[in-house]
Amino acid sequence: MSGKEIDIGLHVLDHQLLDKDGRRCGNVDDLAIEGGVGEVPEVVAILCGPGYWGQRAGIIGRLASRIGGGRKVRVPWSDVGKVDSAVELKRGATEIGLGRGDDRLRPYVDKIPGAGR
Amino acid sequence: MRTLSSFLRREVVTESGRSLGRCHDLRGELSATNLRVTGLCIGRRALLEHLGIRAQKPQAIVPWEAIVRIEGKRIIVRDDAAAP
Amino acid sequence: MSKVLGLGLGIIAAIGGFVDIGDLVFNVAAGATFGYQLLWVIVVGLIGIIVYSEMCGRVAAVSGRAVFDAIRERVGFKGAVVALVSSEVVNLMTLAAELGGVAIALQLLSGLPYRWLIVFAVVAFAVVIWVTTFEWIERIFGFGGLCMLVFAVVTVKLGPDWGKVGAGFVPHIAHTNRVLYAYFVVGILGTAMTPYEVYFYSSGGIEDQWSPKDLGLNRANAILGYGLGGTLSFALMITGGALFLSHGISPQHLGTVALAAEQPLGQVGLLLALVGILFAVGAASIDTVFAGAYNLAQFCGWEWGRYRNPRGAPRFALTWLVLLVLALGILMTGVDPVALTEYAVLFSVVALPLTYVPILLVANDKAYMGRYVNGRFANALGLIYLVVIMIVALAAIPLMILTNVGQN
Repeated sequence: MSGKEIDIGLHVLDHQLLDKDGRRCGNVDDLAIEGGVGEVPEVVAILCGPGYWGQRAGIIGRLASRIGGGRKVRVPWSDVGKVDSAVELKRGATEIGLGRGDDRLRPYVDKIPGAGR
Repeated sequence: MRTLSSFLRREVVTESGRSLGRCHDLRGELSATNLRVTGLCIGRRALLEHLGIRAQKPQAIVPWEAIVRIEGKRIIVRDDAAAP
Repeated sequence: MSKVLGLGLGIIAAIGGFVDIGDLVFNVAAGATFGYQLLWVIVVGLIGIIVYSEMCGRVAAVSGRAVFDAIRERVGFKGAVVALVSSEVVNLMTLAAELGGVAIALQLLSGLPYRWLIVFAVVAFAVVIWVTTFEWIERIFGFGGLCMLVFAVVTVKLGPDWGKVGAGFVPHIAHTNRVLYAYFVVGILGTAMTPYEVYFYSSGGIEDQWSPKDLGLNRANAILGYGLGGTLSFALMITGGALFLSHGISPQHLGTVALAAEQPLGQVGLLLALVGILFAVGAASIDTVFAGAYNLAQFCGWEWGRYRNPRGAPRFALTWLVLLVLALGILMTGVDPVALTEYAVLFSVVALPLTYVPILLVANDKAYMGRYVNGRFANALGLIYLVVIMIVALAAIPLMILTNVGQN
């Protein structure tokens, strides 16, 4: 058994997500756990995106979720490489579906000179 | 499927009705391939202890196996779960 | 060797960039109203910002997380949303006030109409930040801001009663007009302990990839940078006291502040003062707009960074652009930047506990900080300032109302 004991809320929840190139692509907004009473429960996915903010903070969270656009991305735990001060993923952000806001904005940003200095 | 956030701040009560406190985190075991959940962390750390003025109480952990059922706003555990 | 150079540059940037429009407004006005009696409050504020920044820098170096990340992780999501919204509102007010100050300085230098210069200033900043690397921005504005040292020269040349100046460093309560005195205490503390400075500083630490071995650098940076920069605040208050108090002049306009340098030093003094104000307040504008963008980006998990180019962090770039546009909108309503400054400082004082308390908690959390947790000395200071901040936060709005925003 080579497991390291951690407090999941402290060490994973709300931490930065980094893709395989070190690109920031979201925070761990929530975690999906499967396996209930009487079974061995496991964290099966990272839930990322404003769509998951509603369940974190009641009415304030739902409002923030609406303003943020309500996107939801589910990252299977199998994509997780290292859990450190940030959670490092094994694949690229675009592959997983993260960081889309930046990707969609980039072509417009590129149109303005000086964007790539 | 549950979310981590759905566990947080839920009150943890024994079958006989004694309240052990609130769940403020989940204890887990991280390996190269997966993250298992092994227990509940009970009781908010008091502000003064957090600031290091009083000695930190050891965290109470309720092992996952001690959970009897999860209902509404509470988590019911066996009477013999975590020592205070 | 380059660490020392980095520290040197950091200190120069801190001196030039320490003074912002809040310092200009409150310190000079305090001098003009109470003479040297409030000098001790500047000292209290300086120690406070050093304590606060050092903690945030240490959290950044040890945990790799900036202020807002730490707040979200430790205080919970709901608290983080509240902290985010309040800090963005205050940030935006501050940004508008700073940009207004820049426009006024430009007007005094060029004689062109104020409203045109607001637009010019915002557009110029947008272009500069978009196109220029931050290293250059820091150098230009840092060195330009050094012109503020003219006020230190002015202070000496005015030959104030140094005995009275010294007495001002001893904490005491005024004999008359206590409510107004309290208002200035709150204002001076508020303008010394600006939150945007702390967000900016700790985010910079993340980008510079501070690690535990940089903790000494962090401390030196905080103490020397703010300490030296703080002498300018002393100079402003002493100048206000020496020049304005006896004449009953209340500097409601930045021009009055700059004219203080003309008295003993002539046209050169005036020019240096205006240039210094332009660059110091300009640097503050940039720090503030970045701080606002950092907070949102860190909360949402976006890519961010002052050293990144816009295509590397598109949403971050869009955020600071939007903030600049919003600030422009606020200024175009014709609001007086000096009045706006007073509101911005007071509201930031009210919101200060929302970001100070979580950092104090995080700095004490062994799970987060390991052996770099707050020691007893740091905690003693941290707790004293917690009390100070809470008192000041509660007193700010009542005092603002009672004194009619310092008009009395």
